[in-house]
Amino acid sequence: MKKAALIILFLVTGFGCTNFLDPEPVALLIDDLALNEAKDVPSVEIGLYGAFRGIAAPKVIAGDMTADMLIHIGTFNQYREFSNKQITSTNASAAALWGSIYRTIYVANFILEKLPGVPGVTEAERNEVTATARFLRGYAYFVGVYTFGAMPITTTSDLESNRNVPRSSVEDLLAFIDADYTAASGNALPEDPVNAGFVSQSAVLAARARLALYRQNWAEAEALTSQIIDSENYALVDDYSDIVLSDFTDESILEVGYTVNDDPGTDANYGLNDLFRGRREIIPSNQTVVALNNDEAGDRFRNISFDLSELGGVDNGWSVAKYGTADEDNNNIIVFRLGEMYLIRAEARAQQNKLFGSGSALEDVNVLRSRANGAPAVANSKEQVLQVIERERLYELAYEGHRWYDLVRTGRAKVVMTTFNTNWQDKFELWPIPLREIQYNPALQGAQNPGY
Amino acid sequence: MKHLLLLVFSGLTLLLVAPTSSQAQSRVITGQVTDIDNFSLPGVNIYIKGTTTGTITDIEGNYRLEVGGTNDVLVFSYIGYLTKEMPVNVAATIDVKLEEDARQLNEVIVTGYSYVKKRDIIGAIASVSADDIKNLPVVSLDQALQGKAAGVQVTQSSGTPGGGITVRVRGNTSISASNRPLFIIDGVPVEDGALALRSFGGQNDNALSTLNPNDIESFQVLKDASAKAIYGSRAANGVVLITTKRGSKGAKTSVTFDVQRGVIDLTNKLDLLSSEELVTLQREAITNAGQDPDESGIIKGVTDAVNTDWIDQVTRQAIMEQYQMSISGGDEQTSFYSSFNYRGEEGVILNNQFLRFAGTLNIDHKVTDKLKFGNNLTISKTRNDRIKGDNFLDGVYSGAVKSLPYYFPFDEKGNIIGPGNSNYAGFPNFNPVGQAVLPRFQTNTLKVLVGVFSEYQFNEHFRARAKFSVDYNDVAEDQFEPSSTAIGGFLASVGGLGYGVNSTGTYITYINTNTVTYNQTFGDHVINATAGTEFLQRTETSNFVQGRLFPSDDFTYITSAGIVDAGSSDKVNSGLNSYFAEARYDYKEKYFASVTTRYDGSSRFGTNNRFGLFPSVSAGYRITNEAFFPKNTIVDDLKVRGSYGFTGNERIGDFAFLGTFASTTYNGVTGTAPANLENPDLQWEVTREANVGIDLSLFSGRLQTSVDGYSNLTSKLLFSQPIPLTTGFGSIQGNIGEVSNLGVELSVNSINFDGDFRWSTNLNIAKNDNLVKSLADTLPLFRGYTANGAGNTNIVKPGYPLGTFWGLNFLGVDPATGDAIYEDINGDGQISPDDGKVIGTAQPDFVGGITNNLSYRGFDLSVFIQFSYGNKLLNFSNTALLNSGEDINNNQVRKALDRWQKPGDITDVPRYELGNTQNNWHSNRFLEDGSFLRVKNISLGYNLPVRYVEKIKAQSIRIYGSATNVFTWTNYTGNDPEVSTLDGSTTAQGIDFFTLPQVKTMMLGINVKF
Repeated sequence: MKKAALIILFLVTGFGCTNFLDPEPVALLIDDLALNEAKDVPSVEIGLYGAFRGIAAPKVIAGDMTADMLIHIGTFNQYREFSNKQITSTNASAAALWGSIYRTIYVANFILEKLPGVPGVTEAERNEVTATARFLRGYAYFVGVYTFGAMPITTTSDLESNRNVPRSSVEDLLAFIDADYTAASGNALPEDPVNAGFVSQSAVLAARARLALYRQNWAEAEALTSQIIDSENYALVDDYSDIVLSDFTDESILEVGYTVNDDPGTDANYGLNDLFRGRREIIPSNQTVVALNNDEAGDRFRNISFDLSELGGVDNGWSVAKYGTADEDNNNIIVFRLGEMYLIRAEARAQQNKLFGSGSALEDVNVLRSRANGAPAVANSKEQVLQVIERERLYELAYEGHRWYDLVRTGRAKVVMTTFNTNWQDKFELWPIPLREIQYNPALQGAQNPGY
Repeated sequence: MKHLLLLVFSGLTLLLVAPTSSQAQSRVITGQVTDIDNFSLPGVNIYIKGTTTGTITDIEGNYRLEVGGTNDVLVFSYIGYLTKEMPVNVAATIDVKLEEDARQLNEVIVTGYSYVKKRDIIGAIASVSADDIKNLPVVSLDQALQGKAAGVQVTQSSGTPGGGITVRVRGNTSISASNRPLFIIDGVPVEDGALALRSFGGQNDNALSTLNPNDIESFQVLKDASAKAIYGSRAANGVVLITTKRGSKGAKTSVTFDVQRGVIDLTNKLDLLSSEELVTLQREAITNAGQDPDESGIIKGVTDAVNTDWIDQVTRQAIMEQYQMSISGGDEQTSFYSSFNYRGEEGVILNNQFLRFAGTLNIDHKVTDKLKFGNNLTISKTRNDRIKGDNFLDGVYSGAVKSLPYYFPFDEKGNIIGPGNSNYAGFPNFNPVGQAVLPRFQTNTLKVLVGVFSEYQFNEHFRARAKFSVDYNDVAEDQFEPSSTAIGGFLASVGGLGYGVNSTGTYITYINTNTVTYNQTFGDHVINATAGTEFLQRTETSNFVQGRLFPSDDFTYITSAGIVDAGSSDKVNSGLNSYFAEARYDYKEKYFASVTTRYDGSSRFGTNNRFGLFPSVSAGYRITNEAFFPKNTIVDDLKVRGSYGFTGNERIGDFAFLGTFASTTYNGVTGTAPANLENPDLQWEVTREANVGIDLSLFSGRLQTSVDGYSNLTSKLLFSQPIPLTTGFGSIQGNIGEVSNLGVELSVNSINFDGDFRWSTNLNIAKNDNLVKSLADTLPLFRGYTANGAGNTNIVKPGYPLGTFWGLNFLGVDPATGDAIYEDINGDGQISPDDGKVIGTAQPDFVGGITNNLSYRGFDLSVFIQFSYGNKLLNFSNTALLNSGEDINNNQVRKALDRWQKPGDITDVPRYELGNTQNNWHSNRFLEDGSFLRVKNISLGYNLPVRYVEKIKAQSIRIYGSATNVFTWTNYTGNDPEVSTLDGSTTAQGIDFFTLPQVKTMMLGINVKF
């Protein structure tokens, strides 16, 4: 009996063993293994695109809701702040955009640091991925500098240096963006990728054109846009509705890609189709409805839709039609498309006094007008042509996140916005730096944008 | 179901009663049992030695027993008295006087891996026995601890049956790791907290509600280092040791039936506006915003034609019922305890209910005098029909509170109004009646808690014991929201054709514990030592699938879904390897000392810090055993004790120390994206604990008092530390900061009257000062809900306790403009989140409970009062229900009628203006005094006289009634001071956000023992 007991004790005791302490995670990949061989490169590049995609939705909110195109009727306070022009530094959209920008920059920096040391990668692939990383990093800073002003520049994946980094100057940032775009130019990127969800040579040209426009380098902007338009890689779609209802149209140069399976509607805070349709947090402002319902706008009226059953209380019954619902697979968000190139060229030409006739600003505008079956543009002076372009940008690029950036860079924000909402103040020409950044980054303390 | 159960019960009764009644033999012995003062003793256990034949004395101490022959010996035993044996001989009447056991505290209690005499304890341990909780109609065993033990704060987060319960022992030690104590049932650390995968808006389920509280023999709450350091890296939050009932050796088989039935109501109902009042208010808000209310469609006499009381529409008087049968008994070799329990409890919200079936079988068997085997086995199945609440727009109670009274739940045909109906308010006022009744949110949990042990006594000094146990939990969630609900029918992203989710989670803990015990006595020196090893592995697997676009609402399972577009499957393992030892020494029961240590290795920590050592020392001194201490005074026991040691907390989730990439998709392609920053130095939190205490017993044990003071310092706090987003991440897991808890606990047990009329009082009060001593840097951490205009509702800041509220300082309403005035703290001429400040804390000054037990002959009355003083409660619901017209989607509380209306009005409610957020910014306007005193339970019982009891051959029959949450005194203006959304959060406790208040239960029961 004694023996039996001892055997039992021994057997039971035998269960102990130390490999309980080293379980393997099943859904996670350890850092050191993430980018250490050639086959990891495409995976991590997708991770970079995923980070970059996070910029797109909050940028639409920035461009259209900080301005006069959207109002809030839901429950999320961050959107109410934009709607009422009472934006504060605790705004969650500001933190989301800031975070997405630096997330993209982090992954780009991670790739740029690690890629040279990964064995077995072909020269062509190495160049292509490097160009992609530099281009997307440049674009992230571009969105940042025009949304938040002089942002901190981070160039490494090192935690210690990135958590204590001061604001740079706007000039340095613009030079940095220029350098990234230039490095991405040339033949490293494909001319014709799988689809416009990935970066092409033309995407870099388009980004440089927009940068030239924002920096008022008119001749450069005209030359770059002409290069894209003349290449005939892209064509305006015949029916403007296709822009609203479809992904990857013939005129799309770069768009962030979603599929039904990774639909943005699942992210209740920043999924556009959820905000515009699912939760109905945000709807078009009355002013925009009127503007789009206008002979000049023509088919661009399709950017919005009306539903009588929604009408009532503070709800005007109108919805943003772009991005559809979660089930409709048109939720990609445009970054660059040919239509915008015509508008950049029109503005660059107008500023160079190429106002009327062949090769003029008005001619470019009318290309878009006729495509949309809108009334042809008429103008008699440079002032009027610029007014026409401002309106045209509203119609053509509605809900693609341009309006506020356009009003600010053309110096028209104060005039337009104070008539829209009396709460408007000049400080709203930049978003506040998210409060948490100032709290947790010692180098940013006391460096908030003026007025916040 | 009910009928079936009753049938089973009566069948079993017949089977079990029959054999005992057929043992009638030659003659009958009667007699009376009294104490030495001739007071009768009811309930004394009497049996014939060597048999299972026996009885107990009645109220007058009388007994009647049939015996076989003159050689029989009767054994009289009674708790607190010395057992006495009387030979029968030829007597017909045997009266017995039992002597009180001078060492009535010889009761031994479990302390971790060993036992100790209760009076010789030198650590801080609070005990709660089955008797203390027998009248409480509690669902889960953690709830039973509420108000019963000093320093143990138990908060029920809402009135949802089977819902989340927060248990804190001596305050909060941790910011982000778990603050729940370690629950150990018969040696097995069991799952606690939430098991279900899906969130229900702030209210969780409770793994401990799978167990039947009626099977509990005792709770020991280990509070100081000397008691709990033996649990090492998991002990910092205290340890609750739970012992289940077992059969006793040589006891007559007894069968107990217990039936309880009762009704449940809301404790309190919010006073909300009627349609007419609301329409007036909303028109004013619209007008103040410069708009025309008629254009907005809010029209007097039209809009307010309907006036629905939504809270009445979604609530009901609910029914609870419980049937319990238990059997226990044993002979010299084998003893057993077995029980079966069914409990059905409806929630006061329509369609909400909690059902539990639980069965237990515990067996002990002595093979030889040296070898013992035993097991414990509990199997339970619960079904929880849940409803959404709190922070969900489509929650039921939250929806009912917010819903506009001018909508109606039913159309003219009596059908529930849903999406597609023109009278459906839609976002954000979904019909809460439909939200309650139409979805299916069924959570089925199967729990099997099983263990076997063997024990071998080598000689009088050495004993070895090995135990192998498994805690198996399987949670299956079966959910469908038809097209007539908000998610299934309204949310465009779901597609309007139903939404189904099915998930399973399996949580299994395997544990093996092996101990060796050594006892030795050298004259007056007594040594007890224990050493052991423990190996624990936990496996967590989860699966989930989601489907949409069902052909119709008649198809409610995912097999019929048009799209199955989300699913996952995951597995996580974790492990703990431990070695521990303990040695106790006492000299003449006068001087005591002990040393404990545990060496733990945990898979959750970085490779650089995988193992940790947790030692403790303690000492005690019984002054009453000194020769110089005067004898025959009123003091019969006085002991001082102290302890010092270290414990840890390893509950931070798995793989937090690894820098990792996780799967991501973009544009239909799968890749990898960074998920977590690496920290190989990550380790457990360490709590340094010091405790001093005095135990005093007066008047022959009639007044017993314990006072404990402690000072605990937790360092290396596990924290997901926020870092600037410029790093590419929002946070990094680290060990930062220190939190201290300093406190005093008092418990008094007093027998005020004794004899026929007996009155005893148990009081416990605890005061705990919690303080964040330091963080990694000087920057505060913001927590809780996002708060408009102020950042967040809560802050973690050195110099302030955890649970500190943050916000603007509301100075009042400007009588000229009606706008809220906030203090411009930084003096920059404008109000911004930088003007936020600490506005209060959820930590109470003191908490406690008083239980008064009175009995007279067959009657007993128990009144249990619980209180909390000095804590603040954030009435966050009022940011929607008293919102100054920020939006017109929510009904308002009556206080809204006090709003500012015209220049000169003096009020503390700002004017109503549609769309104006500034008057509704988060400030101390929403913070209220959360102190309360609550009559938690009153119960009255009656033991039927023996003459009735004997007629059905029973030992005792008890009829009783009980009422919970009877009265509450509080200044809090919300629903209920005893609620907390964000169930279990430490940094954001004490927030009321549309939380279902506690419920009032009135119950009747009958307990029959054979």
